[in-house]
Amino acid sequence: MIGWEKIQASGGKQLTNAIEIRGLNKSFGPKLAVQNLDLTVPQGALYGFIGPNGAGKSTTIRMIMSIIFPDSGELSVLGKASAVESKDRIGYLPEERGVYRKMKVGAFLKYMARLKGLDAAEAERRTKEWLVRVGLADTYRKKCEELSKGMQQKVQFIAAVINEPELLILDEVFSGLDPENRRLMRDLIREQNDAGRTIIFSTHAMNEAEQLCDSIFMIRGGVKVLDMPMKQLWSTYDPKTVVVEPTNPADIDLAWETLPGVREAVRSEQFVDLRLGENANVATLMQGATAMAGVRKVELKRPSLEDIFIELVGGDSESVRKELRASAKPVQEVARG
Amino acid sequence: MGKVFTVAVKEFLATVATKGFIFGMLFPPFIMTMMIVLMPLLMNKKAPTVYGHIAIIDQSGLVAPRIKDAFSAEKIKARKEKKIRQTMEEGTKAIGMDEKSAAKIKEQADASPMAAASSLIPETSLSVVVLPPDTPVDEARKEILKATGREQAGDGGSARLALLVIPENTLRTKELNSEGKPDFKPYQLLTAPRLDVEVQGDIRNETARAIVDSRLADAGEDPVKIRGLTEWPKADEKAVTKEGDRSSNEVAKLMIPGAFMFLLWISTFSAGQYLLTSTIEEKSSRVMEVVLSAVSPMQLMLGKILGKGAVGLLILGLYSSVGVTAMIFFAYAHLLAWQNLVYLFVFFFIAYMIIACLMASIGSAVNDINEAQSLMGPVMMILIIPMMLWMPILRNPNSMFAQVCSFVPMINPFVMVLRISGSEPIPAWQIPVSILVGLATVAFLCYAAAKIFRIGVLMYGKPPNLATLIKWVRMA
Repeated sequence: MIGWEKIQASGGKQLTNAIEIRGLNKSFGPKLAVQNLDLTVPQGALYGFIGPNGAGKSTTIRMIMSIIFPDSGELSVLGKASAVESKDRIGYLPEERGVYRKMKVGAFLKYMARLKGLDAAEAERRTKEWLVRVGLADTYRKKCEELSKGMQQKVQFIAAVINEPELLILDEVFSGLDPENRRLMRDLIREQNDAGRTIIFSTHAMNEAEQLCDSIFMIRGGVKVLDMPMKQLWSTYDPKTVVVEPTNPADIDLAWETLPGVREAVRSEQFVDLRLGENANVATLMQGATAMAGVRKVELKRPSLEDIFIELVGGDSESVRKELRASAKPVQEVARG
Repeated sequence: MGKVFTVAVKEFLATVATKGFIFGMLFPPFIMTMMIVLMPLLMNKKAPTVYGHIAIIDQSGLVAPRIKDAFSAEKIKARKEKKIRQTMEEGTKAIGMDEKSAAKIKEQADASPMAAASSLIPETSLSVVVLPPDTPVDEARKEILKATGREQAGDGGSARLALLVIPENTLRTKELNSEGKPDFKPYQLLTAPRLDVEVQGDIRNETARAIVDSRLADAGEDPVKIRGLTEWPKADEKAVTKEGDRSSNEVAKLMIPGAFMFLLWISTFSAGQYLLTSTIEEKSSRVMEVVLSAVSPMQLMLGKILGKGAVGLLILGLYSSVGVTAMIFFAYAHLLAWQNLVYLFVFFFIAYMIIACLMASIGSAVNDINEAQSLMGPVMMILIIPMMLWMPILRNPNSMFAQVCSFVPMINPFVMVLRISGSEPIPAWQIPVSILVGLATVAFLCYAAAKIFRIGVLMYGKPPNLATLIKWVRMA
């Protein structure tokens, strides 16, 4: 496992860390929610927490936010021992989120801004500005309950960023959003990161993390399985599959296994996935493939985060995939998140 | 502290600035105040003067002169004044006023709305027309039909408002009834349908008096003497206490402490209820954790308790000021010991904090209002027990039972409010000691509530039972 420390040592820019966690443990009754967790999030990072539900993502985030407290271990947030001391510098969008149903949207956002230490005039100014930004300007005087779920999500996002926090923590930020709003949310997150804010977001949808974050933190069963920058991830987890699309579909049945370095050929209707063995030469293999039949496409397949996750946790890959899929439905017991 | 205040202001406004609160809580005292102010104004509009005459067919020949005398202008005026005085005296006696204050009341009588109340008795300008004893009743009663009930002064009293027919045997009879008393026959009173009820009653009373006086005179007795002798004696009641005699006044004994406790009860219970529902709403709408990203659970709980406490204080202040205003307006302010109002607010603080800590704990632990019901038992006990203790404690505010209850945590604020506002003074040391017991209870409950709240607000799923809550308190 390669962590940030190595990257920083090997020429990465030396930054102050937004979050430092050492040997963190938390259990709920007999269940170990987080075990011996180490994590360092440098300032300005866009960090993705991924893992299936019940993995310990929300528990870790809650401990960072000082909403629950670890049984043991050290934790520092923005240089302080507890988030309580730096709450006004943090923006947090929890997994279990809602709005005051009877409160007007404007009043709710102003209230949240006031709670985060802004004065009344500034709270009002930013509230109006943000509602225009996300296309909800006409909802200022509407009751929160009149908004659709997607609109409420945006309002909650505003509540998290209204204080222009140094650290922004977004738990399951994409759940419940339609594709259009997902894109908007991705843009907003990037924009916040470009403004120099450290961002941590958790998701069980690994493709979202793949598209967005510059570092990945993977957790399962309360144990860290991966923690590294994306660039390093792609170089560490070499692509091990070459996808071939023959021009003639009948060619799918050719003896692709005989090509040098191929461990296994998995056929689907249109494609053949050539799983490579150790020490396979990709260039030679690709030449061999084009020589074997007329092909529309020969491509070195990038492993998905999901593939990496499965590889890392090992075991029965189908059951792990199922575990990931099941995460689509949020769990009820928050404290076990 | 700034955040706590922000939460408190939001919580206060979230409850007060709603239609439900304005109609449910502010409207009743508003209506009451309006009634207190408007009632005397409405009453001061005097009932219209009644003009007309009473016709008498007096077959005995003895009663008519007495009735004629009774309805002379001076006698009518005297009767009215006497009636006003009586009403006032009964009023002061009913609420148990001592003589000194009663005298004060009499001074204020003219200015007091009580006098205005008596103006409901209409002015009357009645003449009495004595018809010949042999006038046919059927002829005489026809005149009554001509009366409209809206006669004016200029009509000269021509309207016949009533006809009295007094037969000979109403006064004299040789027959005896089953009890062995003279079996007098009734007289007839025929009235115009619109005749004022008060006037009707007056005619009835004065006729009866005139008939009885006539009977006495006829029997050779002096009616004035006999009436004097048969005057109903009045009792001068005093309660004997160590501090001296005091007029015993049952109503005041019950009314003022009852009102004090009711005020305390309604304000703490309403505020507690608002706190419970708002906490549950924050949980069920999942806004809790969003808020907790900006404030600590302790700040949130404190802010909520303060905000809803301000709502309770508003209710208490509003209702008690309506009560005090009414008492001042009706000149009963002397019945109120002002230091008791101060104690009322001190015990409100204690009682509210107790209820609030319990409500905040319950609200934070459950997912919806239905789940809260099962945990509400202990809270309901605290609220119901004082209601059950009301009568026994009021009857005897210094009984051993009442004294013990004054130091039982959770119910003592209610018990003390009953005892201090009651008629018997209680040992002075008991008030501060009871307050200390209350404050200690509050301190403990705040500690427990803070722990439960911190854990409960983020707990979804199966609602905890009482044992789980206790476990949370014990957790570090």
